[in-house]
Amino acid sequence: MINRIKIGMASCGVAAGAREVKDKIAEVAPEEKIVEVGCIGHCYAEPIVEIETDEGSIFYQDVEPDEEFINRMLELEDFSRFTPNPEREKWEKKFVTELSGKIDPVSLEEYRSRGGYQGLEKALEMEPGEVVEEVKTSYLRGRGGGGFPAGMKWSFLAAKEEEDKVIICNADEGDPGAFMDRTVMESIPHQMLEGMLIAAYATGANRLFIYCRAEYPLAVRNLNTAISQIEEAGLNKIGGEDIKITVKEGAGAFVCGEETALIHSLEGKRGTPRYRPPYPTDKGYKGRPSMINNVETFANVPLIIRLGGEEYAEIGTENSTGTKLFALAGDLEYSGLVEVPMGISIGDVIYGIGGAEEGSIKAVQIGGPSGGCIPEEYFDTPIDYDSLNELGAIMGSGGLIAISKGRCMVETARYFLDFTAKESCGKCTFCRIGTKRMLETLERVTGGEGTAEDVELLSELGPKIIKGSLCGLGQTAPNPVLTTLKYFKNEYLEHVEEKHCPALECDNLVEIEIDQETCIECGQCIKNCPVNVISDDFVIDNQDCTRCNSCIEVCPVDAIARVRKGGKVNVAN
Amino acid sequence: MSQIKVTIDGQTLNAEEGQTILQVARENQIHIPSLCFDNRVSQNTSCFVCIVQDAESGQWMPSCSSQVQDGMKINSSTPEVEDMRKTALDLILSEHSGDCEAPCTLACPAHAKVEEYVRAGREGNHFEALKIIKERIPFPMSIGRVCPRFCEQDCRRNVKDQPVAINDFKRLAADLYYDEYLEDMEDLTGEKAAIIGAGPAGLGAAYFLRRAGIASDVYEKRAEPGGMLRYGIPEYRLPKDILEKELAHFEKMGGITINCNQELGQDIELEELKNNYDAVIMAVGCWQPSSMRTEGEELAWGGIDYLEKLASQNFEMEDPGETIVVGGGNTAMDCVRSSLRLTEEQVHCYYRRTAKQMPAEEYEYQEALEEGANFEFLTQPISLRKEGDKLVLKCIRMELGEPDASGRRRPIPVDDSEFEVKADTVIAAIGQKTIAPEGVPTNDWGDVEVKEDNCRVEDNLFAAGDCVSGPATIVEAVAGARRVANGVQAYLKDDTYKPPYLINVSRGHWQSVSEDELVYLQEPDESERVEQRHIDLDKRKQTFEEVSLTFTKDEVELEGKRCFECSCTAREDCQLKEHSEELGADPEAFSGEKIDHGYNVEHPEIVMDRGKCIKCGICIKICNEVVNEYLLGFKNRGYNTKIDTAFGQPLPVDCEECGECLEACPVGALDWKVKKNEEILKKLAEEK
Amino acid sequence: MPDLAALGQEKSNLIKALQEQQKEEGYISDQAIKDISREFDMAPVEVEGVVSFYTQFKRIKPGKYKIQVCDGTACHIIGSKLVLNWAKDHLGIAEGETDEEGLFSLDAVACLGCCSLAPVISINGKVYGDLTRKKLLKILEDYRAREEEV
Repeated sequence: MINRIKIGMASCGVAAGAREVKDKIAEVAPEEKIVEVGCIGHCYAEPIVEIETDEGSIFYQDVEPDEEFINRMLELEDFSRFTPNPEREKWEKKFVTELSGKIDPVSLEEYRSRGGYQGLEKALEMEPGEVVEEVKTSYLRGRGGGGFPAGMKWSFLAAKEEEDKVIICNADEGDPGAFMDRTVMESIPHQMLEGMLIAAYATGANRLFIYCRAEYPLAVRNLNTAISQIEEAGLNKIGGEDIKITVKEGAGAFVCGEETALIHSLEGKRGTPRYRPPYPTDKGYKGRPSMINNVETFANVPLIIRLGGEEYAEIGTENSTGTKLFALAGDLEYSGLVEVPMGISIGDVIYGIGGAEEGSIKAVQIGGPSGGCIPEEYFDTPIDYDSLNELGAIMGSGGLIAISKGRCMVETARYFLDFTAKESCGKCTFCRIGTKRMLETLERVTGGEGTAEDVELLSELGPKIIKGSLCGLGQTAPNPVLTTLKYFKNEYLEHVEEKHCPALECDNLVEIEIDQETCIECGQCIKNCPVNVISDDFVIDNQDCTRCNSCIEVCPVDAIARVRKGGKVNVAN
Repeated sequence: MSQIKVTIDGQTLNAEEGQTILQVARENQIHIPSLCFDNRVSQNTSCFVCIVQDAESGQWMPSCSSQVQDGMKINSSTPEVEDMRKTALDLILSEHSGDCEAPCTLACPAHAKVEEYVRAGREGNHFEALKIIKERIPFPMSIGRVCPRFCEQDCRRNVKDQPVAINDFKRLAADLYYDEYLEDMEDLTGEKAAIIGAGPAGLGAAYFLRRAGIASDVYEKRAEPGGMLRYGIPEYRLPKDILEKELAHFEKMGGITINCNQELGQDIELEELKNNYDAVIMAVGCWQPSSMRTEGEELAWGGIDYLEKLASQNFEMEDPGETIVVGGGNTAMDCVRSSLRLTEEQVHCYYRRTAKQMPAEEYEYQEALEEGANFEFLTQPISLRKEGDKLVLKCIRMELGEPDASGRRRPIPVDDSEFEVKADTVIAAIGQKTIAPEGVPTNDWGDVEVKEDNCRVEDNLFAAGDCVSGPATIVEAVAGARRVANGVQAYLKDDTYKPPYLINVSRGHWQSVSEDELVYLQEPDESERVEQRHIDLDKRKQTFEEVSLTFTKDEVELEGKRCFECSCTAREDCQLKEHSEELGADPEAFSGEKIDHGYNVEHPEIVMDRGKCIKCGICIKICNEVVNEYLLGFKNRGYNTKIDTAFGQPLPVDCEECGECLEACPVGALDWKVKKNEEILKKLAEEK
Repeated sequence: MPDLAALGQEKSNLIKALQEQQKEEGYISDQAIKDISREFDMAPVEVEGVVSFYTQFKRIKPGKYKIQVCDGTACHIIGSKLVLNWAKDHLGIAEGETDEEGLFSLDAVACLGCCSLAPVISINGKVYGDLTRKKLLKILEDYRAREEEV
């Protein structure tokens, strides 16, 4: 009665131990058919196993590579069952990722049986111009961050009369904490490739590249498998020509998410951007007209063609159609990948889907290091390109981090700026030096050495970096600082005026203290202190303490806490 | 190409499609600064100093890369645009490491181009050295002898051992060629200044004015000109025949007249001078000895009075007998050492603080000790009286307490430690004050109050020297002379004088850097400092013969090899400096890490100083696109970005035949190693 | 060894060639830069420029066990800085360094993509999640012990 067993083997699953689980199942029940599938988005519950029976599927979560566990699971016992949070069901709209985690990612057959490549077939029956029009009608906007209407971009390339035209899929998902594109590539690679082939037909491009992060080996593997399947099936024969599709691995540079930098990298060069115009659709890869869309954008395309642009445009809002994938992280109960219709409110995502405790979140950082933070009072803002821009944030690629009230916003801003400063290509003065100077200033503030002038400097220099940078990296790098300054200026001022980190996160502004009343003198803290600064009578020498938290972690009675430096009040949380 | 119209700063211009905003601006003589643009190579678009703003959309763009569009309206000189450019430069300066100017030159109050005259001396070009010195210092013979050597205190060589003996370069150059050299001067304009006081400040002002074409009449109340040079500095430090030779030059210049025995308020009147001359400069010095504030102090000599009398009697004076000099400054040392030469009896110096805290130059103290002076520190006189032929000085011992306003620990009396000493002569050399002429505004210290930037008192009255600063050094008086001369010139021109804004990037004071943080164009000589030779001690004790001897040419050439040559090779043609000064950028605007990317001087002719590099990329492209080589490239990224050769190796030797990248480098990151003085001489000539 | 001569026919393969070279040797040596620049008919300084631009490329020989501490957002928020410090203290090496025995090398990386397991590290590609100091030290010591057995 078990038809087959599906195991989520995307990176998140593998990291959680899915491979060991799979091997164990194969060992315990060699007769069962096991299928590796992608991610269904509930990363917090991995490894997840789906058992398909005639009566439907049963999901198990946190599966252990343990014989007893597996036997009980195969008996369909009622334990460790996975049931998605019902709130989430209410808000989520599985559309682009509908097949993710349900099908074997590298089975062309399975993809086709679920409607795969029908979009391409339909497109091939249309005139190329009609396909472009359909995409325009859908009002699909670039999912990589900028939100430029995809149909427009396609029409620019289509209008080019050159013989050689290039389409590049930007799969260099560099935003730390975002993994939407990875999931798509790992779980539904054919869907994205179908989108690219449709684009090739619509624009007359004859060369396709996927520029993928090198850190995504599984994505690269699945894409390459899917490409050979396509070639074998002749699906890449468009207009009588075999279109070559190549996966190129990046080598670790966030700035290569920028179009012109990506093209330089694709050409084997340093990934520095250049001034636009000329735009890539005029002069791109090796001087040829080139069009770049991101993974999620392409993955939308087959659905648009299948449904028709008009029907597609009914999803979401008027100016932001369709759905959006978000990688949820931070102080949430349920982190992972979600797909929601455009226009849903921020609050519904973090409380409804993420399961955060009501009122516990003071801000979300949306759009990763290029984005901005949005405070609690704006949580009813709808998630669409324009509303987010108005708040100083951006849609970005889809990283969404919930920041609880126990975290320091200055430190959060410092973290993001540290990332972008390191990822600056070093070309433009404002970005190369400006982000470094801002970072140093933030370090002074979090280090307890900041002054009111430092805070002033941040708010003056930030906008100048935005104005004086060539590419999106510099133009957005100050956003986390400027938005936290806008919405959480008090936290900055407390750091500089009171030398106090309200969240007790900034090491230089806190001390570690053992509450002598609670302490049971078990000695665990002394044993685990890596720098030996806890005395025999359980007093911490804060002078030499590195604030590593080891003692707090091992204390069995929670007698140790971070407290305000010089003060005794614990105000965390 | 089709013709289009664009507007830059409200000026509508014809342009061709495809041109950049910068091209159009430059064709139409609209100045847009830029560092990373070179029209021989493809665009770098990295410095953002050429940034402009679209007047309508508000969009910012680098003008070197943005092409003009028909009807475009560009703002290139609004305060916002200039602020963006200034910030770009501030940021570049904040990662730029080097020394625009050598620390010695900066330390010199007169900003004499020290590194350059030291180089000239080292190369045996003493005439050229004198030429450079005299651009800033009209009294090289005197200052070459008596300067307290501010330059040497800041000399980078201190980081290794002893500073370069800079002042001795001046002295030799002047001793050799002072009479032979007559400087370039502007033709006389017909304008004339009256100068009150023929000391270093007054004569110095006359000198700088004359060079600019302005004549002057100098009025001196004493019988001879020279002021402190003549009456304040004893013969054994500055022989009067040397001084005569030096002073004779001023009237030789033509246009300077010195009138002695002309005292303000008696022989001449201020109002009259102001009416009769285009400008009046007051340089009356600081001649009033400060009071000891003790009972019986009228029985003591004032230090400066004592020296003045000595000088006016040609250093022949009756034996002062056992002498006590009170004070620890340079005047006190002059009194002590002069007295030693006049008597066989003991000469004492009483100072209320410790030896370390004495304001006198260390070498003066040491030489006084050698000559037999007895120092009593932490000793304060409290009264003076006469007993028979002798003077009785009552003193009290002191000890050091808490620091006072000057940061020095304040001496406080020790209870019951009074004692009395007998002496024949007591000299109170504890300081001097300005006697400002009646009706002239003064500050809290009693010194003449002037506007800082142009030294103007009021109307056409200016002032300079000790009467403005309080008692100071000759070189400071000379610096004041140049400032006042500039002020007068500007006043006579259009009265809108603004001192030029100059920036200086520094690797830091020698006390805050280590030897290996510096950049050496060539390995500096390891030898020790050449010390001045002195005449025999016996002679020193008995005569007023000059104590120290002028360096020989060999000594100067040897000593010159010890110079680190700190200043930037590109100082005279650095575009970063030029634009920064034009836009008011400040090297201190942002502070932060400067990465030490090291330097390479292995090439015989070329220095590659990566710390100065602004990462514009011009050199890479010149080498690649113009010369068709690929010897330079970017490495790393972000703030760590640098431009380097493969594996950091030196450039090939035959690069010197090309040198295109060196010429194109907007700063001194790639440059010819050898510094030449021609450039500075040309620049100094242009200044006038 | 990667077929540099074949890859070198097409300049846009430079990054790929470097990746294969690194797969082979674990890092990019000066010699490798010279070899590759010759095969690609490029200046060594240009190849060096590309190598130093991308974080993937290592210029020093890594340890047998390459520890990557994830500093992606999710891990950072939950304390990856501490994890990195624990590892640094324990191994006595800084970020980007290899220990003296050549056993461990340590790097902080942007995101390993296992956000739900934060904080995580990976050692030679194997991911360890939900780390505490104790857990981390045990993992490292297990590697060392295994090595000593061999």
